[in-house]
Amino acid sequence: MTLVSQSAEDRGQNVSLRLIKTYPMEIILAALVLFLILMAPGFASTANILNVLRTVAMLGIIAFGMTAVIISGEIDLSVGAGVALAGCIVAWFADAYTDAIGGWSAVILGFAVALTVGFSLGYLTGRFRQWFNVPTFITTLALFAALRGVANLITGGFPLSTFPAGFDFLGGGYLFGIPFPVYIFALTFAGMHFLMKYTSFGREVYAVGGNMEAARLSGIDIWKVKALTLGLTGALTAISGTLIASQIGAGTGTTATGMELDVIAAVIIGGTSLFGGKGRIWGTLIGVLFLGCISNGMTLMNVSEYWQYVVRGGIILGAVLLNQVLERVR
Amino acid sequence: MTYSQPQTDAAQGRLEFRSVTKRYGPTVALSEFTHDFAPGRVHALMGKNGSGKSTLIKLLAGVTEPTSGTISVNGKDQSFTSPHDAFDAGIVTVHQELSLVPELSVGENIFLGRLPHVRRAGFRVVDWKGLHRRATELLSDMGLSIDSRQPVSALSVGQQQVVEIVKAMSFNPSILLLDEPTSALASKEVKQLFALIERLRARGVTMIYITHRMSELFEIADTCTVIRDGHYIGAVEMRTTSPSEIVGMMFGAAARATRPPRQTIDRVKPLLEVRGLTRAGHFNDVSFDLYRGEILGIAGLLGSGRTELMRAIFGADRIDAGTVHLEGRSMTGATPSQMRAAGLGYTPENRKEVGLVQSLPTGDNLCMASLGPIARGGLISRRREQPFIDRQIADLHIKCGDPELPVSSLSGGNQQKVVIGKWLNTAPSVMFFDEPSRGVDVQAKRQIFDIIWQKASDGLSSIFVSTELEEVLEVADRILVMHHGNVVAEVDPTRTDLTQLYGLCMEGASQ
Repeated sequence: MTLVSQSAEDRGQNVSLRLIKTYPMEIILAALVLFLILMAPGFASTANILNVLRTVAMLGIIAFGMTAVIISGEIDLSVGAGVALAGCIVAWFADAYTDAIGGWSAVILGFAVALTVGFSLGYLTGRFRQWFNVPTFITTLALFAALRGVANLITGGFPLSTFPAGFDFLGGGYLFGIPFPVYIFALTFAGMHFLMKYTSFGREVYAVGGNMEAARLSGIDIWKVKALTLGLTGALTAISGTLIASQIGAGTGTTATGMELDVIAAVIIGGTSLFGGKGRIWGTLIGVLFLGCISNGMTLMNVSEYWQYVVRGGIILGAVLLNQVLERVR
Repeated sequence: MTYSQPQTDAAQGRLEFRSVTKRYGPTVALSEFTHDFAPGRVHALMGKNGSGKSTLIKLLAGVTEPTSGTISVNGKDQSFTSPHDAFDAGIVTVHQELSLVPELSVGENIFLGRLPHVRRAGFRVVDWKGLHRRATELLSDMGLSIDSRQPVSALSVGQQQVVEIVKAMSFNPSILLLDEPTSALASKEVKQLFALIERLRARGVTMIYITHRMSELFEIADTCTVIRDGHYIGAVEMRTTSPSEIVGMMFGAAARATRPPRQTIDRVKPLLEVRGLTRAGHFNDVSFDLYRGEILGIAGLLGSGRTELMRAIFGADRIDAGTVHLEGRSMTGATPSQMRAAGLGYTPENRKEVGLVQSLPTGDNLCMASLGPIARGGLISRRREQPFIDRQIADLHIKCGDPELPVSSLSGGNQQKVVIGKWLNTAPSVMFFDEPSRGVDVQAKRQIFDIIWQKASDGLSSIFVSTELEEVLEVADRILVMHHGNVVAEVDPTRTDLTQLYGLCMEGASQ
């Protein structure tokens, strides 16, 4: 078909078809928001939207890192447990060192330790894959179980809540009318987007995930790339864990149960391929917003919690099917 | 299921081709092929790569259908539309790649997909006893003492090949196609395989035997049928022919194509020095020098160790012994990224699988090996990459339309040029070209050779590997011949003809 022979109507149809093919999740998210504004009582209120953004922020900070991990061809199942561990480490330091060095110093020290632990665990997971050929699925599944245990060992099984005054601001406070975690979320988005698009490291992540051997034969240190993406995600998990501990005012071993599934779901809904090599940080942003809106909307519409689980499962499968179908159409 | 006894029939095992033609679009893979394969004999089928040999096998195996002409089996005209049809007509193929399941037992592999069953307490269960009894019968019938109950993974490659043939024979075919059955075997295992073939011949099974090893032909085949450029060239009796007659038939009057005049290479100070390099099971004690501006060809059959040698020098595989020096610096045991930094580039033989990241754009692939020099402080952008992309697209005449589209949308020849361009972007002083001409059309092939010659005259040293020996003779300034992992000869392409080179590749120097 040539352009000349196309009628105006044809062209209009082509444009809208191309839009649907290029931005399927954006369009679905817009439709969902529109539906919720009309149908869910109170969805469009400022307070509610800020609430959704705060929830989304905790999830999204980790999901951006997870996107890089999945693009590099690996997976991290331990982020939920990692959140609990980070919260408990910060809480333990606040509990143990406030008297000696002051509340905020103790919290900062705890955060630094949590960050280091998070990064190291991720980094070592990547190196384990290199040294012993243990798939990251297995290593992080082991961490998924073990880290929660460690978190509970640290706190002795009870919530630790000796935080300095004002610590609750990090997770629960507002800056210029917007929840503080949303700023961290926005910063993480911008940073990860930049990293994946405008640095040679980002290019290497795509190359390693797209074809490991081709990347290796191009002189790329594939194991370093994988270990660093996992380490980065570990560090982001520690940041999110600290924010959550601040929000709920305690470090406990049971925080963020099942969060790893939501994080991975958001990445997949955003169009990142579990086979590696394909995906965008922008897509993950859409994915987390989508998940946040749908669960908030269902709660507002009094959908039972059990149905919410069913719907979420359906959405994950539906998003993947949609991507596969679009892949074929393109 | 019943296992019928071989029928005895005059036409049994007879295979006739009458004017069989196979076209793929405009390409004629097989042209008016007419030949009568006499029953009960071992027919070697010879032809260089792309001669139509594999098309012939595919037609017989029912994988593709002829465009015109007739194939007659056991005196009956056949038109196969699926591998199953070929099977029913009594033709079984043993492919080059083994198709056994390593974890399963020998007997189970032989009867895979048709396990015998018995009724026990009302349930239909697998009759393991019967299965192994029958498998043992089959094995001993072929003169083999292999335990039917042990897993295939416990067998040597040679024994596995033999089990594959026993499995094929359990279908009682009248015609057996053997596609390079010895390519992975050691010489002792080859003997065992030949004993089995002798036994089958004594039973009157017609065999079509494909190999690249000339010595095997004279050992096992009765006749040799030669095919070239899709045409039937002739069939000779092994008793009365000679290797040079067969090579002559395979290559015809191979005309040397035009190439720029060879330069005089200053062979004083080597750029790349390889000494005693060994990787157990792949190549042994390989030593050579490469000089500035020189194109060193490595000739050898598949599995001769040439690819493994290059991968090991590049640091992609571990080495067991020996040293590598590049521009006087010791690079023994370096990683690919250190090798790249030292000025070595490597375009691998299978560009689709390991040369390119198919899901990424042409531009990203072109820049993949030179992200360091392109990026400033780790930052990169299309604007910064653009000169690197444009330069290679222009220099190498890459036809890619939009460099933002995935590289998978390009033709084979253009993909190969992208792999080469990726490495030229690193400004290498030494390049390894492993099969750069495989699967690309004639025009792209010429362009790739021109690039190699052009870069050589600019001072780039390269190693050139190709299965096509004519190409090695044409492209290289000097040729090393590899055979079973050893360098067996060094020859001057201006003083060597195809028959000599082919002989060296197949037999090694000692024979």
